[in-house]
Amino acid sequence: MQPTDQPRRSMIYRLLLENGAEFETCQDSAVAMRYPGNAAEAEQSQSMGIADLSPLPRIGFKGKDTPLWLKQQGVQLPETPNRARKQSDNCLLLRLSDDEHVLLGDLTLRSTLVATLHQSWHFQPGQMCYLVPRADTHSWFCLSGKHTSDMLAKVCGVDLRLHKFGNGEIAQTSIARINGIVVRNDLGQIPAFYLLADSASADYLWPCLMDAMDEFSGSPIGLATLQSLIARAA
Amino acid sequence: MKIIHCPLNGPRNISEFAYGGEVEAMPDPVSCSGDEWAEYIFMSDNPAGLVREWWLHVATAYWFIAERNTVTDEIIKTYPPSELYKQRIEFAKDID
Amino acid sequence: MAGANRLAEPHGLLIDRSRTIDFEFEGEAYQGFAGDTVASALAAHDAWLLSRSFKYHRPRGIFTMAGQDSNCMVTVNGDANVLGDVEKISPGLRVFGQNYKGSLRKDRRARIGRFSRFLPVGFYYKTFFKPKGAWEKRWAPIIRNIAGLGQIDTEAVPAYYDKQYKFCDLMIVGGGPAGLSAAKTAADAGAEVLLVDENEALGGALNYARFAVSSDAARDQRGEMVAALSAAQHVEVMTDAICNGWFSDNWLPVIKGRRLYKVRAREVVLCTGVLEQPAVFHNNDLPGVMLGSAAQRLIRLYAVRPGKRAVVLAGNNDGYAVALDLMDCGVEIAAVVELRDEPVYDDIAKAVRAKGVKVYEGHAVYRAISTSDKHHLKAVEIRQIVGQGQCGQSGERVSCDLLCMSVGYTPTYQLACQAGAKLGYEDNTAVFSISGLPESLHIAGSVNGMWDLQEVLRDGEQAARAALRRLGYEIKVPPKVVNSTVSPSFGWPIFSHPAGKEFVDYDEDLQLADIVNATREGYEDVQLVKRYSTVGMGPSQGRNSALATARLVAWATGRSVAQTGVSTARPPFAPERIAHNAGRSFYPERHTSMHHRHVEAGAQMLMAGAWWRPAYYGPSGERDRCMREESLNVRNNVGLVDVSTLGGLEVRGPDAGEFLNRMFTYAFTKQPVGRSRYVVMTNEHGVVIDDGVACRFHDEHYYVTATTGGVERVYQLMLRWKAQWRLEVDVTHVTAAWCGVNIAGPKSRQVLATLCEDVDLSAEAFPYMGVREGKVAGIPARLMRVGFVGELGYEVHVPQHYGERLWDAIMEAGAAEEIRPFGIETQRLLRLEKGHIIIGQDTDAMTHPAEVHLAWAIARKKPFFVGARSIAEIGKQPRKRKLAGFVVNDLDAPIPLESHLVLDGDKMTGRVTSCYFSPTVGKPIGLAFMTLEQAIPGSSVTIKSTGGVFVTAKVVELPFYDPENQRQDL
Repeated sequence: MQPTDQPRRSMIYRLLLENGAEFETCQDSAVAMRYPGNAAEAEQSQSMGIADLSPLPRIGFKGKDTPLWLKQQGVQLPETPNRARKQSDNCLLLRLSDDEHVLLGDLTLRSTLVATLHQSWHFQPGQMCYLVPRADTHSWFCLSGKHTSDMLAKVCGVDLRLHKFGNGEIAQTSIARINGIVVRNDLGQIPAFYLLADSASADYLWPCLMDAMDEFSGSPIGLATLQSLIARAA
Repeated sequence: MKIIHCPLNGPRNISEFAYGGEVEAMPDPVSCSGDEWAEYIFMSDNPAGLVREWWLHVATAYWFIAERNTVTDEIIKTYPPSELYKQRIEFAKDID
Repeated sequence: MAGANRLAEPHGLLIDRSRTIDFEFEGEAYQGFAGDTVASALAAHDAWLLSRSFKYHRPRGIFTMAGQDSNCMVTVNGDANVLGDVEKISPGLRVFGQNYKGSLRKDRRARIGRFSRFLPVGFYYKTFFKPKGAWEKRWAPIIRNIAGLGQIDTEAVPAYYDKQYKFCDLMIVGGGPAGLSAAKTAADAGAEVLLVDENEALGGALNYARFAVSSDAARDQRGEMVAALSAAQHVEVMTDAICNGWFSDNWLPVIKGRRLYKVRAREVVLCTGVLEQPAVFHNNDLPGVMLGSAAQRLIRLYAVRPGKRAVVLAGNNDGYAVALDLMDCGVEIAAVVELRDEPVYDDIAKAVRAKGVKVYEGHAVYRAISTSDKHHLKAVEIRQIVGQGQCGQSGERVSCDLLCMSVGYTPTYQLACQAGAKLGYEDNTAVFSISGLPESLHIAGSVNGMWDLQEVLRDGEQAARAALRRLGYEIKVPPKVVNSTVSPSFGWPIFSHPAGKEFVDYDEDLQLADIVNATREGYEDVQLVKRYSTVGMGPSQGRNSALATARLVAWATGRSVAQTGVSTARPPFAPERIAHNAGRSFYPERHTSMHHRHVEAGAQMLMAGAWWRPAYYGPSGERDRCMREESLNVRNNVGLVDVSTLGGLEVRGPDAGEFLNRMFTYAFTKQPVGRSRYVVMTNEHGVVIDDGVACRFHDEHYYVTATTGGVERVYQLMLRWKAQWRLEVDVTHVTAAWCGVNIAGPKSRQVLATLCEDVDLSAEAFPYMGVREGKVAGIPARLMRVGFVGELGYEVHVPQHYGERLWDAIMEAGAAEEIRPFGIETQRLLRLEKGHIIIGQDTDAMTHPAEVHLAWAIARKKPFFVGARSIAEIGKQPRKRKLAGFVVNDLDAPIPLESHLVLDGDKMTGRVTSCYFSPTVGKPIGLAFMTLEQAIPGSSVTIKSTGGVFVTAKVVELPFYDPENQRQDL
């Protein structure tokens, strides 16, 4: 299938096609599943890989009543801001501040929590819990492999070395001079970072990251490769 | 490059922040004199010593207050604006 | 052939004798070993002339052999100003000397040195500025042609340079004995250590200097320390890496290869060592005259014999270590010229004397004498010292081809001083001392005034322990080490000569008299001496001249050296390439999801902030035609424009209406749901800073748009006021979440209707300024009836990732009606015809609402909005200017452009803010600031247009098009 078969399209689908991506349907979008021309995809996910997860579900909520509302929906919240917490169905909840949260869907696409929350949320007068369209404000990339910290040190001024920036930690910072959210979320034993950044800058950021990972022989990898890392860990 | 301790995000390079000017109390915009208003709008104390300033962590659009010594450029402490602005502010109705 | 001067092993720490390398110098073939530098490989072949000086084109050669001087700056493969004493040779390397006309050996400009007496310091300032204009027209072209360092290769292909952040607990700058000792101490404690050294091999002076009568002592010590360190965990060693500055909170740039590392260290220990200093005497710049440490580096690092017959100028015992090294490799020592009257000799000095070397105590080298071609040292003249800097009337001539200077050191204080350290100087030690460092910055070793190797090692450990304690390690910090050794610096190794050429600054060819004369001209402060004479401004940034300059200025002005000080040592410490700063900079760009459709349709793209936007669709030479066709198609048919870059903010909460009331000039609490209102934001000065619309989708929910360039500021201001007012409101920035189009023109409704199932688009159900939510082409959308371009039109906003699909769907649906896209330029023309202003283009930093026809947008009955009080105060003042519309009836006149002046007689009264040829009106139309008198419709004003042509414009009522607003209300 082609990404243009679907109405919702990653901002960088053209770049992914140039890289030889093979797409599969993901709700009303298409996600780069694999790169058939790249025999080393599996190894690269463990040394230096980048995947575009922008088509995957995610949602945000904001406002002072947000923590309460999320708890009522059965969502497990991290104790403090700038921490992430894995949910029972492998969704990841990011706490960005006292009252702002983002829920990222799981990479196996089995979880329905994002859709459930979307459906249960209604604009209610006086209830300060507001939906934030995080699926559109931000593109979502996954950087994986042992060189990721070194690569990120070329674009980001925060110390993201593995022994300083633990699994589940969040840094909201500047990446290649655009605002972004970095989340450490290892895939089993493989160090991995989610990167959420301005969707309108995706066409700019993807090549920046590709350039930065060149010295580590990094390359794009598909969602299927990440899924197999998760499966192996489980 | 200087480090600023953001109350939300911790220590970060100053390049992640934007300066927002000194913290100044607005006089009552309806009842104050023209001179008082002009003083508020145009004049800055700019003291040599401790000042309270607005700083913004740009990536999170988070405003906070920093107390800084303008002589040594040392940032004494930073804290959320809620420590300074504790109550809802209302404005009096215009008289005319 | 590796060269006649090549020594046997164990000398040659850095060379690999198994690999020979062929290269070229000045077009001639040479061979060296892998690991050789340009200078060492040439020296091995007895080639000592490397380059020429900047001003007088004097022959120059090896001086520091450590990359600390400009004497051997060469051009390597077209790359100018490369340090030939540290640049490694590689196969096929093509090296040339610099600063000559003709050839290095026969420089047609070498004679310029003879005129040096006519080129005193300050010469430029005094000479070339009369008569007026002479500098620019006459002198500058000549001097610029002669001056300058090297030649730039304008054909060069830029190489890839980049940057990387780096973090550590403890950074140690300098991998000599003190640095190695500090690193080992910290590594043993478990701290994360980054050890940075500018040299290829760790060891510092242990690599080349002699610390004992036995030649091997230093090498063994080095071997042990380096081995211990390489076994340690958590230690990262960066060699060939220069730390080029210190910035706030231990932020240190380190350059290695083509990468600039931005290191953040919690603690820093500076073990930067000392720089050996030259003596100042006549012809002290001749090739063959070098620092004692330079000769030692040639011997131990590169296995090159530095000469055949040497004189050593000693002001300390280190000179004897040099002499011993020279003798060990077969150099004849003609004499040791000992500056000290009553030296206290150490074991090494005694060993030299025991070998029968002739030592002239209390003598100086009065002058160096060159070979007939002036390219090398032939002899020195030795005279007795009779007073400070004074020599006797006659001397003894000693022939030699090498003069080694060992007269003292200056601490490498640059980084410390950048961190705010103060320099002290005592006449009895004759060296600078460093104090007043920030708490997280430590110094150790010779830079800290330690001269004995064991004390240096202990000092390194002490500093590391102090740093570790601050890092939170439970560790004992011993008391500070106290130096027990006599200072190796001689106080006054400076001897004037009637013929001058006693160089204080080799980079700038500054002689002793130049410095003294600067003080006589009244420039007594060392900072002013620097600026007047240019001392210390060259590539070596005063590393070899600051000490002598300080001494001379102190002497000439009757002050102490401590009072005089040195000029500020700013970063970078060593010369760095602009590429290191420029390399891989980030320039973010933003694309809307429809971006690629614009490019595919042949749009000319322009940047607005970080956004790329289509200006118009068509070839770049056909702007006017494209704009005419696009605009007429909107007026008569239907057009589509990408408005995704418009700012978007969700303002939600019980106080949302109250919040907007305070942020914007108009009133919002009674705004009906399902309607939009124009919003104007003023700052506290009452100046218009942004505009947009507020769409009310719910009692407690407004979707507020802002200008493309202004939304970030609007958002930040909102959050700041929210933090102060404590209202029950939430503001969320959603610009990137929504993309949008404006479908505009009389046929826009019928085109949109084919895509829109669940929204009634009829005029009755969805009037002008109405807002609706529904689906367009199956995509969830927000629809707004707007009139920016003055026609029936709808803004359709959909989630960003659906933008391309939306664009395609509307273009397809409108194909039958001949819909065509229009660009930003066309949009600007259309809104101008309608008399709408653009904030930032038709306003400036002083514009208040009444000047730009926005008085109607100010709600007078509100208790407060930001800017209200200032606007009220401004309202009490007489108005000075107004934005007015004008037309130009003369179709042959050059069309005025933005910022062209509006005149009243010969008085400037305003300026044009917008002007286009309007196909609809049939003539150029525009907006301009002017006086109130000029702004009366019907009056004529003069505009100074392109080429200085005065154009008459007629002031008209706004808008230019559809004053009854019938078109947008359809």
